[in-house]
Amino acid sequence: MSESRVWLDKIHAFEFNRPIKIMNVCGGHERSITHAGMRGALPQWLELVPGPGCPVCVCPEEDVYQAIQLALQDKVILVAFGDMLRVPVNVKKGEVRSLAEAQAAGADIRPIASPLDARKIAQENPDRPVVFFAAGFETTTAPTAAMLAEGIPDNLSILLSGRLTWPAVAMLLDSGSPGFDALVAPGHVSTVMGPEEWSFVIDRHEIPAAVAGFGTESLLASFYSVLRQLKTGERFLDNCYREVAHPGGNPTGRRLLDHTLDIVDANWRGIGIIPSSGYALKPAFAKHDAHLLFPDHTDPGRRRAGEMPPGCDCAQVVLGKIYPNQCRIYGKACTPRNPVGPCMVSDEGACRIWWAGGVRVAADA
Amino acid sequence: MCLAIPMQIESIDGFTARCQAKGVWRDVSLFMMQDAPPAVGDFVMVHVGYAIQKIAEADARTTWELLDQILEESGA
Repeated sequence: MSESRVWLDKIHAFEFNRPIKIMNVCGGHERSITHAGMRGALPQWLELVPGPGCPVCVCPEEDVYQAIQLALQDKVILVAFGDMLRVPVNVKKGEVRSLAEAQAAGADIRPIASPLDARKIAQENPDRPVVFFAAGFETTTAPTAAMLAEGIPDNLSILLSGRLTWPAVAMLLDSGSPGFDALVAPGHVSTVMGPEEWSFVIDRHEIPAAVAGFGTESLLASFYSVLRQLKTGERFLDNCYREVAHPGGNPTGRRLLDHTLDIVDANWRGIGIIPSSGYALKPAFAKHDAHLLFPDHTDPGRRRAGEMPPGCDCAQVVLGKIYPNQCRIYGKACTPRNPVGPCMVSDEGACRIWWAGGVRVAADA
Repeated sequence: MCLAIPMQIESIDGFTARCQAKGVWRDVSLFMMQDAPPAVGDFVMVHVGYAIQKIAEADARTTWELLDQILEESGA
């Protein structure tokens, strides 16, 4: 009998007389869950809720707008992770609404796969300003911090939209109606920051939690762990990804983050300000801070500035308040071919993952 | 975006490691591994061009199989 089968049998042996919701906060977890068809194999009473696990989805609309304007107006070479290129901003019909459209209009925008690519492009173009538009959670922001600490060319600056995962979960828990009974904590965020970052879920809120990896066995083990914690009443932060997520995380990565970046209150698209949830360059790195180097093009009077696109329920999806196919436009106006909201754009977005997983029909209202 | 891929280190020059995963080679930064420097032959989890943690060979091979499955199924 496979290890997955053993975990499934153990989960099915539980009996709950109410629906139990387990939230994940990682696009990689949601992808594994959806592609393995886990929801269909689990008991009826168990719901798996995708939560805030997509940094591209919550990247402030103003930052995307600013990146587009830097490329169009200030003629910089704008580099960004490929996921960011099709994220739409809220502008009038006919105006440039994404980095991809700006690129088509002649702006020099280049998708990259690593901060090292940004450094290389800057080295190869010493006479031109290069801006690295860096969205991401802790796992991705730590390498950006590493690049900064190691030393970067004078012509390279960073438009940083890095976010921390745990404050969004803390906000949900503090709201009084978190919408979940247990948490599966993200494996690679924990690899860098240490699993202990999630202890507050147990210590402050008495909600069961377990760190999981990305394989079926690890995810099922984490579900079993939190369900068992619910049953027995005993709470502890379990780690079902011990092979990679070690206590204390990656000490070099954490030190580099502390050395280069401050933690600040930060805006999440469609959600608002979450306290201590964002990264900003420390003053010592001001000459590489694109927020300080270039004119601020974000016009706060712009219609729907900072919001999700009209009709799009991405903010509710990100917070786990609704499932992707409960969005008003899922699979209708919004598909991967013509995405309206960022959750349908990014590979980490729950809407895109569900679509790729074969969910093609909107849920009944 | 937090996807990480196991790779095996074939050579090291300063903070740069030549790494291989199933016939694909990449230069990977070891700058985030200064507290636990890996050696040639070790397997590391690589995220956006940076090694973020060592991983045992058996776990690396399991992860490769898993990634193959996910990539196959999400060919959309």
